[in-house]
Amino acid sequence: MKVSLKWLSEYVEVPSNLKAFCDRLDLTGTGVEAVETLGATFEHVVTAQVLAKEPHPDSDHMWVCTVDVGACNLDEEGNPQPITVVCGAQNFEAGDHIVTALPGAELPGGVKIKKSKLRGVASCGMNCSARELGLSSDHSGIMILPEDAPVGVPYAEYAQLTDMVLDLEITPNRPDCLSMVGMAREVGAMYRIPYRNPLNSMAEKMQPVREGRAIDSTVSITIPEPDRCPRYTVRIIRGVKVGPSPDWLVERLASIGQRSVNNVVDVTNYILFLFGQPLHSFDLAKVRNAHGYANIMVRAAEEGEHLETLDGVDRVLTPDMTVIATPDAGPIALAGVMGGAATEVDEGTTEILLEAATFCPGRTSRTSRNLGLFSESSMRYERGVDDHGIDVRSAAACALIVEVAGGEVVYAITNNEGLVDAWPKKTEPKQLQFRISRFCQMMGANIPRAIVVEILKRLGCAVEDNEGDRLQVVAPTFRPDLEREIDLYEEVLRLWGMDRIPATLPGGRGRFGTRTAAALANDIVVATLRASGLNDTMTYSFADPADMERLGMTFEAGVLPVELINPLNSAQSVMRQSIIPGLLRSVAYNQARGVSDVQLFEMGTVFSTAEGRKKPKERQKVAGVLAGSLQRAGWNTAPVQLDFFDAKGVVENLVRELALFKVRFAPLSSEEAPFLQPGRAASIVAGGTALGWVGEIHPRACEAFEAKGPVAAFELDLGALQKSRNAARPYVDVPSFPPIEIDQAFVVDEDVTAERMGQVIKSAGGKLLESVQLFDVFRDAEKVGPGKKSMAFKLVFRSPERTLTSDEVEKTVAKLQAKVQGATGAEVRG
Amino acid sequence: MAITEELAQLEADTLAAIAAAGTSAELEAIRVAVVGKSGTLTAYLRSMGSVPKEERAQVGKAVNAARVAVEEALAQAKTALAAQEMAQAIDAAAVDVTLPGRAQVIGTRHLINNIIDEISEVFLGLGYSVATGPEVETDYYNFEALNAPADHPSRSMQDTFYVRDLSGAAAAVRGESEVLLRTQTSGVQVHAMEDEELPIYVIAPGKVYRRDVADPSHLPQFHQIEGLVVDRGITFGDLKGTLDYFCKQLFGPERKTRFRAHYFPFTEPSAEVDVSCGICHGEGCRMCKGTGWLELLGCGMVDPNVLEMSGIDPEVYSGFAFGLGVERAACMKYNVPDLRMLLEGDMRFLRQF
Repeated sequence: MKVSLKWLSEYVEVPSNLKAFCDRLDLTGTGVEAVETLGATFEHVVTAQVLAKEPHPDSDHMWVCTVDVGACNLDEEGNPQPITVVCGAQNFEAGDHIVTALPGAELPGGVKIKKSKLRGVASCGMNCSARELGLSSDHSGIMILPEDAPVGVPYAEYAQLTDMVLDLEITPNRPDCLSMVGMAREVGAMYRIPYRNPLNSMAEKMQPVREGRAIDSTVSITIPEPDRCPRYTVRIIRGVKVGPSPDWLVERLASIGQRSVNNVVDVTNYILFLFGQPLHSFDLAKVRNAHGYANIMVRAAEEGEHLETLDGVDRVLTPDMTVIATPDAGPIALAGVMGGAATEVDEGTTEILLEAATFCPGRTSRTSRNLGLFSESSMRYERGVDDHGIDVRSAAACALIVEVAGGEVVYAITNNEGLVDAWPKKTEPKQLQFRISRFCQMMGANIPRAIVVEILKRLGCAVEDNEGDRLQVVAPTFRPDLEREIDLYEEVLRLWGMDRIPATLPGGRGRFGTRTAAALANDIVVATLRASGLNDTMTYSFADPADMERLGMTFEAGVLPVELINPLNSAQSVMRQSIIPGLLRSVAYNQARGVSDVQLFEMGTVFSTAEGRKKPKERQKVAGVLAGSLQRAGWNTAPVQLDFFDAKGVVENLVRELALFKVRFAPLSSEEAPFLQPGRAASIVAGGTALGWVGEIHPRACEAFEAKGPVAAFELDLGALQKSRNAARPYVDVPSFPPIEIDQAFVVDEDVTAERMGQVIKSAGGKLLESVQLFDVFRDAEKVGPGKKSMAFKLVFRSPERTLTSDEVEKTVAKLQAKVQGATGAEVRG
Repeated sequence: MAITEELAQLEADTLAAIAAAGTSAELEAIRVAVVGKSGTLTAYLRSMGSVPKEERAQVGKAVNAARVAVEEALAQAKTALAAQEMAQAIDAAAVDVTLPGRAQVIGTRHLINNIIDEISEVFLGLGYSVATGPEVETDYYNFEALNAPADHPSRSMQDTFYVRDLSGAAAAVRGESEVLLRTQTSGVQVHAMEDEELPIYVIAPGKVYRRDVADPSHLPQFHQIEGLVVDRGITFGDLKGTLDYFCKQLFGPERKTRFRAHYFPFTEPSAEVDVSCGICHGEGCRMCKGTGWLELLGCGMVDPNVLEMSGIDPEVYSGFAFGLGVERAACMKYNVPDLRMLLEGDMRFLRQF
């Protein structure tokens, strides 16, 4: 909210140190978002006094004046030195106080003042007329200031032309601060000084005129559901003349960024900003029916009802919204949000029906959001407008309308106020207690009782201070946020000063910090992936609905992506089901910038849902991509193209570090994983738990994401990793007897996997076979045979109890060869 | 020539050859040729049988003496040559030590996760546990249980992403839903109060979402760390002390904190915390927009309504909560010019941390 300090200072003393004032506002909860200087600054234009006035030697109408400008012109020793000004005006005498523009000044219209010679006499400035300063059209002569005007003061300061305007952030719990008077009260409480509320003196000026038809013979108000509208009042002003507003009103509104519309609308806006009371003026002639009655009903809109609002838009209403309606015209305004076009005040309006009311905050807020209609009024109603005092604020408004637009306030038969008032739901002031000892205990500081009482009173609370620990406090109805004792604590704390509370640390015995098992497992995953050369990254959780199809990733029937109702753009309109598309985009991003070696991983959430589900399913995944090579070409290293086995190696590192047992890699077919290159894709299972997959992204998918392949990747379910993780592997004795190592090659058909060979050899080797390691795979149609491959294994034999002899190992190997041949059709290679 | 003379000649020749040997291999060849299995000197030993009996003792002595002399010379020469060869090998193996090493490439930690780790460490040290929660929340956990019921004006403080609710429930406002992407990690507070035993000392780092278009200073997804303490006798002073300690740990002991009163629905009293600017040290500069302070986090005493909704008696227990924007902290520590860099996966950026 914009607050003009000039305006504010009419109601409370505003500290002269602007920086300190802004800091204090910040610290007490009113954020200062911007400070603006308004109005002409008139640099180098100062107040002055004519010391002497001599005729110009070469002119019959010009004068050579000696002008005192105080300290604005100094001689070489630094003493004030009057200046000489040649002036053509006739309306002044020596001794007059005037306004002088010094060299360097720039006047409205672009006139730049500099030293010059006028008919041979040097002139060091210009004595200004009001027109030259752009202040009025008066150019009958130079401006003559009162005799008591100071000399040598910047004119803008003297004439109070400048205004500082603060843009304040009012938190949503403080509707009372959304007005000038409210801010004055707040500033008063901040500095514990009095403030002045002009409300009553303004309202007293309203005098209903006992003539013609009384308002209560013209208007009736019905409110079927008081929750929608706790209070609705109207007054009528007849004989107004809609036209331009007076200058002071235009300036006031302009100072807080409001455009002047006409005198009636401007007054309603002025009252809104002054007291926080939204008002709406109807043209009574357009509201009343053929018999001259305006039977106002504040009711729920009917399904399908229409209203053309003031902005010219025809709006379809729903029963959640509240309308002001008459039986004859139907809806004439959208309660609290915007008036109707058909009853708008225009230049021909002579009778104003002035609404001052309060509406249900929640409904106002929903209506605003549903229609995308936000206004100064709706913003206040949705935070809460006090139902008490509406009549007085309406009276102040009427008095001001009469003052600026003429006319008279129509009398009422039933009261002296000219008021029709429906107040079906009255807010009762809250009775609260304030336990001083508990407050001090909870804040951790001893805050003096007298300060507590004074702060509460300055905020508008009634405080009964009966010596005991408890204060009885009645919160004002304009503070809907003061509902409980704690709300009062907050008020006192912020105005006492949070900076004055000593800092302590909580005690508490037997407390210890822990991390969950899942978090500890995640730490291992991150450490392992980093040790494997992968870089931790983050990508968007949002995804393009086409991503999964683009990638070729499919899900079981019934698994749906999680859709956003209000996405930022269509390419981010669902939540991701896989981390891979994001990582592929990062691969492409790097490649497009000449970075071809990309190794990334991300740990994060993927989302899915299903028909009938409220909350989606969230799963934690870890995914990685490897493209290019891990090592750059160096003086002693050659880059090696990363492929399937590098990604698999990373997964193997995870298997080791998480102590996963019984881990199997099984080939994935193109039906099972269409997004992976067939033949270079595997699923990973530990025991019976599916962990995820590893493979090279299908070249088609790489292309779709504009990434240059091969891109080796994996995506694992973190939950499954956490579940399958073991705290440690079992201890095995370190061998104390030497091994016998035999290299053994087999020629097998292509479809015999390394895993199968390993299993067969292991089981054929008996307990002396300690380990089997594949060290070579070789294909050659001539030497090995078409459709076949040679696989060479290093077999390590060892006994934990003794040194083995070559004889027994040879026998074991012979048996092993026979079994492997039998099981796989392998041929023993020499 | 008598055998002894032959032996003397052989010994002299061999010693000369040993002295002349330049490499271990030459030396070894001499050894094999002279004292090896079929070496010349060995041959004399083998042929002792054919030496006349009376000369045998003398010849035997001479042969042994020659052998000892040769073997000693061999051993000496071997040591000397080995030392010489090692010195040569070392000379030959000298490298330019400024050449790059042959390191296993280690991956880096993302800046944001790095700071989350760092912050978690500070609070683990203070005896807090680390918790997590779901990113898609119901309206209840994101707003209502945090004292911001439907249509509460505080909800407009943050723009929410709504998720299509497939359960068939309809929202009161068109375009909204009871299911949403959490706008704050504060929901974890509620889960903690519902599920954990008292006292509670917990932090919850996590990803949150707000409907802001990505630009240099905004992202629609970012990270928060939520902290919650519920215990007997917790004071506002404890909140100040905790956050002041935390800021000094994260940013350095010379940094100061400032508490500005603010409003959050789930805490009361509430405050925003500023940290003194690390660039100008409070004088005011471009970084802190001339204020000398940088806004870091929001906090406050847990609102009694929030405690009550979770079944905790606010007359017995009190607590505080705080929420910290991790990206904001990251920018303060590293001066990242454009937040979008955090989500691009640019290796040149990631490898810096």
